Amino acid sequence: MSEPTTVEAQPDAGASRWHRMWSAVDERLGLEGLQYPIPEHANKLAYSLGGLTLITFVLMVATGIYLTQYYNPDPTFAHESVRNIITSGSTGKFIRSFHYWGAMAMIVLVGLHLLRVFVSGSFKRPREANWLFGVVLAGITALLFFTGTVMKWDQESLEALEHNIEIGKLLGRFGFWFSPTFGTPLLTRLFVVHIAVLPFLFTIVVAIHLMLVKRLKMAPSPFRKGPEPEPIRPFTKHLAELGALALVLIGILTILAVLAPPPHGPAPIEGLEITKPPWPLLWVYPIEDWVGVAGILWATLAIFLMLFLVPFVDRTPERHPRRRLPMMIAAGVVVVTILGLIVYAAVQPVASHIGMS
Amino acid sequence: MGDRQRGIVLRTGVLLAALTSALVIGHAGSALAHEGEENVPAITDVQEAIAILAEHPGTFPAEEVADHANDKIGDALESEDARGVLLPLVKQAQDAMDADKPDEALTLLERSIGACPGAPVIEPQDAPRRPPALASPCPEVAHILALEGTPVGGSTEAVLLAVGVALILGGLALTRRVR
Repeated sequence: MSEPTTVEAQPDAGASRWHRMWSAVDERLGLEGLQYPIPEHANKLAYSLGGLTLITFVLMVATGIYLTQYYNPDPTFAHESVRNIITSGSTGKFIRSFHYWGAMAMIVLVGLHLLRVFVSGSFKRPREANWLFGVVLAGITALLFFTGTVMKWDQESLEALEHNIEIGKLLGRFGFWFSPTFGTPLLTRLFVVHIAVLPFLFTIVVAIHLMLVKRLKMAPSPFRKGPEPEPIRPFTKHLAELGALALVLIGILTILAVLAPPPHGPAPIEGLEITKPPWPLLWVYPIEDWVGVAGILWATLAIFLMLFLVPFVDRTPERHPRRRLPMMIAAGVVVVTILGLIVYAAVQPVASHIGMS
Repeated sequence: MGDRQRGIVLRTGVLLAALTSALVIGHAGSALAHEGEENVPAITDVQEAIAILAEHPGTFPAEEVADHANDKIGDALESEDARGVLLPLVKQAQDAMDADKPDEALTLLERSIGACPGAPVIEPQDAPRRPPALASPCPEVAHILALEGTPVGGSTEAVLLAVGVALILGGLALTRRVR
């Protein structure tokens, strides 16, 4: 990479006003540094999924800031405060709905991004560490989704929290945080986790993730044919494309938020199990049926353990999926199993799990 | 009692029914075998009676439902542990059942354990020594019911939809241009 050059500000009568302004800003912020070269394939939609996930996260923060102005994280008032957000006017209803659909989009995007990186072998040496940071980000996203599910504080939320508490008990000493020994209710503490701790961690880890992408450069595409070197594009072009795709994403989320706002369940009553979790968490529901609440813990740990092990198991330099068939088949089985469990759980009747041995 | 309030009470009853079903399963030994019924807390009997009245109309013949509910109401009145239950209201519920007014009986039973819509369910072991103070009438608590997702509506909806479509089309056009 070339050394950054210092540009002396020179009055240029021929330059347009816009260019003069850009030069003045660039001289002070070094924005030209963003024009570093990246391969052409990075501008495809499949290689923009990570960026779109980050944009969705920003949208979640923005809409979340609005919602926190009206949400009351006290268990006595939480349900009513959510109901007030929905019923007090179209703005609150729309923002909450947008937040809901954004969360769904973030889960889908992070899943597709992981899948793309896996299929294209982009996690291979020297990018193994960045894969691990990516898995951590997927975990944080899942936790953000789960804690967000609890925030609406309806029957489904309380049941989710009760499962959480049961899992805390299974963890023994490590689950102490979920015990009622703290002075502040668990809902309130989870609220802090949802709006502060997890977004903070996400920001830190995503910064490291992006830094490593820049440092290690984009992985070559396994699908490129021919001996010619791949054309190069400036990173700013990728940013421009990402911005355009973000507009499409925001448009889709806007339409969904307007036409399909999420329902809000009844006020929670302790001790009941009469709901199912939202679809991203639904795959553990049949496992609970079979082995009890402990199944949630073990199944989740198993999935993340498998993800962590990927770069240590698939160590050949080969990136093309056809030449990594065993890994592709294994991943396919896992993905199909999860999707199958979601469908199976969707048609299953509601069952009681807490207290199962 | 208005239709809306009746609806609230019935929905609360359904939720209580599910809880009570769990309690019935948990205490199946004593509750289902009809043994030692006087040892069953009255609050449990009342909750079971509520569950029967709220859950089973249409599922079983009305007479069978009424018989089961009457059994539970009778058990509640004879229970040695009447903590947390206003027995006079249970007695009124019994009279309402005799008068073939199960809806009224259901409401009275709920009120006998302080179960206004939105009130937390009282576990038998947590039943207070004194019967609960009644808020009469039950407060208006529409927020406790489920709310279906309905579109934003009004002119705002049209504006937001137009913005959404414009963003999608604009984004797609920009994507082609950037490439």
